[in-house]
Amino acid sequence: MNNGIRKIALIMVFSFVFLSLGLVYWQVVKADEMLDNPANRRAVYLEERITRGGIFDRNGVVLAKTEQTADGKVRTYPLGEMFEPLLGYATVKYGSAGLEATEAETLLGMKNPSILRRIQNTFELQRTGNDLILTLDSRLQETAYQSLQGKTGAVVAIDPQNGDVLALVSQPSYNAGTIEQDWDKIITKEDSPLVNHAFSMFPPGSIMKVVTSAAIFQAGLDTTELYDCEGSTVINGQTIQEQNDKAHGWVNYDLALAYSCNTYFAQYGIKAGVNHFLEAVSNFGFGRDIPFDLYVPVSSITRDDPLPEDLSLNLFAESTFGQGQVMVSPFHMALITAGVANDGKIMVPHLINSVLDSKQNSIYRRTPEVWLTPLSKEEAEKITSGMVLAVNKGTASPGAISGAQIAAKTGSAEPGGDGDTHAWYIAFAPAENPKIAVAVLVEHGGTGGGAAAPIAKAVIEKALELKEGEN
Amino acid sequence: MLHRLSLRVLTLVILWMGLGVLKLDDMNENGFFLQGAVFSFLILAGALFEIFFCYQGDPYLLPVVQTILAIGLVFLARINPALAADQFIWANLGVIIYYAVFFILRDYRKLGEYQYLWGMLALLMLLLTLIFGVTINGATSWFRFAGVGFQPEELVKVALLLFLASYLSDNKELLRFGTIQVGKISLPDAKTMGPFVFIGVFVLGLLGAQKSLGTALVFFLLMVFILYVATERLLYLMVSVPLVMVTGAAGYFLFDHVRVRVATWINPWVDASGGAYQISQSIFAISGGRLLGTGLGNGIGAYQIPNADTDFIFSVIAEEIGFIGAMAVISLFIIIVMRCFCISIRATDRFGQILAAGIGILIGVEALIILAGVTKMLPLTGLPLPWMSYGGSSMVGHFLLLGILAGISHSSAFSVSQIPIGKQADAL
Repeated sequence: MNNGIRKIALIMVFSFVFLSLGLVYWQVVKADEMLDNPANRRAVYLEERITRGGIFDRNGVVLAKTEQTADGKVRTYPLGEMFEPLLGYATVKYGSAGLEATEAETLLGMKNPSILRRIQNTFELQRTGNDLILTLDSRLQETAYQSLQGKTGAVVAIDPQNGDVLALVSQPSYNAGTIEQDWDKIITKEDSPLVNHAFSMFPPGSIMKVVTSAAIFQAGLDTTELYDCEGSTVINGQTIQEQNDKAHGWVNYDLALAYSCNTYFAQYGIKAGVNHFLEAVSNFGFGRDIPFDLYVPVSSITRDDPLPEDLSLNLFAESTFGQGQVMVSPFHMALITAGVANDGKIMVPHLINSVLDSKQNSIYRRTPEVWLTPLSKEEAEKITSGMVLAVNKGTASPGAISGAQIAAKTGSAEPGGDGDTHAWYIAFAPAENPKIAVAVLVEHGGTGGGAAAPIAKAVIEKALELKEGEN
Repeated sequence: MLHRLSLRVLTLVILWMGLGVLKLDDMNENGFFLQGAVFSFLILAGALFEIFFCYQGDPYLLPVVQTILAIGLVFLARINPALAADQFIWANLGVIIYYAVFFILRDYRKLGEYQYLWGMLALLMLLLTLIFGVTINGATSWFRFAGVGFQPEELVKVALLLFLASYLSDNKELLRFGTIQVGKISLPDAKTMGPFVFIGVFVLGLLGAQKSLGTALVFFLLMVFILYVATERLLYLMVSVPLVMVTGAAGYFLFDHVRVRVATWINPWVDASGGAYQISQSIFAISGGRLLGTGLGNGIGAYQIPNADTDFIFSVIAEEIGFIGAMAVISLFIIIVMRCFCISIRATDRFGQILAAGIGILIGVEALIILAGVTKMLPLTGLPLPWMSYGGSSMVGHFLLLGILAGISHSSAFSVSQIPIGKQADAL
């Protein structure tokens, strides 16, 4: 009989061991997946117990905070619409969006907690999450917000030397503090206030010529060669026109960029060849995921393939000056501009400067690092001199400021369909030692020089004034 | 003596730490200090009683059960303080019953003399439940008098075990070697096999009629395993496999809720807010616990899982004290089951041996089926986790068995074979 008992005992022990493997499966292997299951309300309930951390600008100005009132916790946004939809919202009723959503785990202190933190959590029922310190400067954000107000579009300002996002405005916006009351009004409003236009896709128009320039240089073409612009040209049966059919006469590369000469870039782009063009756009980040704290869609050259192997001649010609099927976000355009400004090196963009835990210990700090190097220093200087000429003599002159030399490029992109062109303006300043790079988009605003340049000018002036104050 | 007390002190440390944390977290108003004090007193008094009466049985069995009991009480106090107040009373009563059974039942062998009485009692209790019982949660397994609900099937377990142990100790050889030759296999005759089959079919049939399918599964496995232990014939285990398949298939086609259970077992995520709500909430709670748990009182499952205080108490434990805590609980159950088998091997008579093994099998099977159910390794069947889930019937039933077990263990310590050679004459 003892033999039978031993066998049954063995079966029992084996079953219990098997059972504990089941626990390993759920508690270790599948734990994250189960937390994301839509039927699992655990995250929402846990959140109700945790006081969400605050969000601050680089100087400590409060952008979002949670206050304990008699009725419970209230999330307030003291600066109102200025930082929306960038910050987003966090509500029980409508979920969350923007930075509040993507950084929820950090704000709630649930992201990769240390062992010590876990033990603390075991004994503290009411907890406070981490604070986010952003790279944004609320003073610059205010200027950008005021300048763009009433229009539809986006402003992105970046420190080209380290990739810090200093201002990021999208219009129209909304007040996150009253989103539950205003929800129906917001979602039916024209031009989608909930959508961040800085991360939406638009045809770049002439600002694409900055990218095409790299292909022209890298193919070894002579940029001092003179080209006679007659106001239009026919390539492979397709007529390429200048804006308002203006004939620019004899131009070299610098003047072609300054006057934004479409036919020059089409002819020289084709001369450089499609391989150099596609390599250049790839080096500038087209067809690549942009490493950022928020999701930015991938910029694309054609509708079907963000970065195709080859282009038809007609589509290639249109792409050289940013028409055809080229699509890019204002945010990516700001990065491209910052790359030109920073001797050809695009820094990884940062929105989060640092993260502080509830005891104000720093648990994360961003470090500047290079993302892409689309240009050599010499090539970047060549483009800069063209952009400086554009400000001093060419289409970008409405953005000129006194006291500092800016380098800029306008764009007036055909939106496809009816309506005015999208007004673009990319700029950085001071040209010799850039401190700020800006991309401005006014949707259906008309010309870049007319609608977008004044906004960029205001932002750059403010940024330089603030830099002056720091030094 | 110190050893005996130190295990009890460890159990009480767990209890008071748990109650203390709950009090600090404002989880319950009164803190259960009075109930906890009574419980602690009973545990310590019990230990002194054992010393005074020279208890020579297994020293680990009761302390381990009391530890499980303490963890269960702390979690009940956290999940549902009102029920925890009741459970403290049941736990105190259980400990008293344990010592009473041990003390009064001087010779457990007498229990083996009433073989058919136990069998008939088991059937009668089930029959009366079916006729006069109340239906709760789909199963007609409750008796209700004077406002207190009682589940007779918990006592049926005791009666059935006593019947099985005495029947098998009487008929072991006949069942093992058989008297009728069928081809190469020798089978026992109808007269020998008759009572076992008769009781088995009726007990399982009545439980099926009550729709207590989880309990039916426990009883079935108990009978098969105990038959194997007594006879060591693989044939009996083999026969049970097709039996399980046929009855399982029959249950699947006969009962709607069995089909739902199986469907939600295969894929709970399709209907996670409907039919599969329980099991998916249980899985969410368990996986939410991760390695170290959310901390006592911090979990969500205690509010979210239906029946968190009975069938799903383990899910709440796994969430709040994590994998580490859940493994500790599982280990405690392994210890209990293994101690039962140890007692069985050391027992001096056949009846005691089969009875002790049967108790081990019963506790192991019960724990395994409900734990495998809440972790989605088997389809869910509603069963209480012994000594942990809320419920007086289960508590009383299991402490009755534990008391008998203590008796078996105690008397085997005094058997001649256990006494060193040379001193046997003195002992006798």
